[in-house]
Amino acid sequence: MQSTYNSHVKRIVVGLIVIVALGLAGKKLLAPKSFGVYGHYRADAIEEAAAIEIRHGTNASCLSCHPFEAQIHLSGKHSTISCEFCHGPYADHAKNGKKIGTLPVKTGEEIKILCLRCHNRAIQARPGEVIKTVIMPAHLEEQKVKTTHICNQCHHVHAPLRYINHAKRIVGMQEAS
Amino acid sequence: MEQPESTLSEDRRQFIKKVLKGTIAGSLLLVLPAGAGNLKVPEQIKGIRNRPWELAKQNFAFIVDITRCIGCGSCCVADKREFNVPDGHYRTWVERYLKDFDDAVYVDSPKGGLDGYQEPRTDIKKEIRDTFFVPKLCNMCHEPSCVQVCPVGATYRSPDGFVLVDSDRCVGCAYCIQACPYSVRFLHPVTHTAEKCTWCYHRVRKGLLPACVEVCPTGARKFGDLNDPESEVTQILKGPGVLTVLKKEMGNWPALYYKGLRREVV
Repeated sequence: MQSTYNSHVKRIVVGLIVIVALGLAGKKLLAPKSFGVYGHYRADAIEEAAAIEIRHGTNASCLSCHPFEAQIHLSGKHSTISCEFCHGPYADHAKNGKKIGTLPVKTGEEIKILCLRCHNRAIQARPGEVIKTVIMPAHLEEQKVKTTHICNQCHHVHAPLRYINHAKRIVGMQEAS
Repeated sequence: MEQPESTLSEDRRQFIKKVLKGTIAGSLLLVLPAGAGNLKVPEQIKGIRNRPWELAKQNFAFIVDITRCIGCGSCCVADKREFNVPDGHYRTWVERYLKDFDDAVYVDSPKGGLDGYQEPRTDIKKEIRDTFFVPKLCNMCHEPSCVQVCPVGATYRSPDGFVLVDSDRCVGCAYCIQACPYSVRFLHPVTHTAEKCTWCYHRVRKGLLPACVEVCPTGARKFGDLNDPESEVTQILKGPGVLTVLKKEMGNWPALYYKGLRREVV
């Protein structure tokens, strides 16, 4: 009796050990490498996420090769505007310091749409201390120009008050004399 | 006989010098963090490049200043370009809130603000009391519900505080999309894996600001390290401005703060 009872226990114990061993082996084989280092996920995924290539540079990356645009852009009120917002991402233009494609330059009506994304007063929630806004076409009428005028006929897109201040200087001089 | 021999040894010396220089330069490239070696862009977040990344010692925060957002949608455009986000899906978007004198709230977000807000709303007959824009993105919760529900360990909160998706492991069950209280996740139509805003983890690790922060013309989006007492986000968090998080009662403890947020925003 005693011996058969022992053999039962043995069988159960050996069976359990086999199951546990199989389970551990299966886990070892099936779980991806680095799984569970920091938690219930693949630790290597962090480095993979960090290694994705950037598509946007910064304004500094654009302006380092475009000194002429840089000196205008940085001199005016638009200096905080990202080059890449209007022209497209750096990655479509340059790679390893070499030009690989031409970025679009907005013209005509596109410019007006782009300007009014920010400067349209008809859209409320644009506080005066943050941004100067205009009502179109009232602004054109006020300035006594044709209502078909595009913004960049008076405003330099990179430094919006460049020509205006220049004109004011000339007119101011005439008024003074 | 003397002359050629000396030039030969000179060549050999030069060759050995060049090999040594090359080896040193090559091994340096391997030691430096990925991407920083060939990146000419100046660092925007100080102290990230040229040192090993310590996962456990990071504490980043994102602040959206509602009082400065003008709803231009630059952030949405940059985000779409940075990640080639498929049409109709948004990692970040801008909502427009209108409030009338009876405190009724009207919210819209045409194309997620991708084309900006060109036209005012004309469908509301009542007088509007308050209008503001609310940019939305991942809240990078300290207790993320999306991570809790993921059955395969594909979404995780890394020790540096970023909630990310491992697309190799994601099976596209979309549990996380249902679990996220902020609806920032979507299923990519091609890969059928979950995607979300990562606060541009790949840029941050290269010492650059997230793309949306970089392009924001008014400085409505701020990103920085809370461990740095000089950083802008630390200064704002220490300051007197009204700072709130979205859906605080959910207990997700977001790392995304809103400055000047109205109570109507959900």
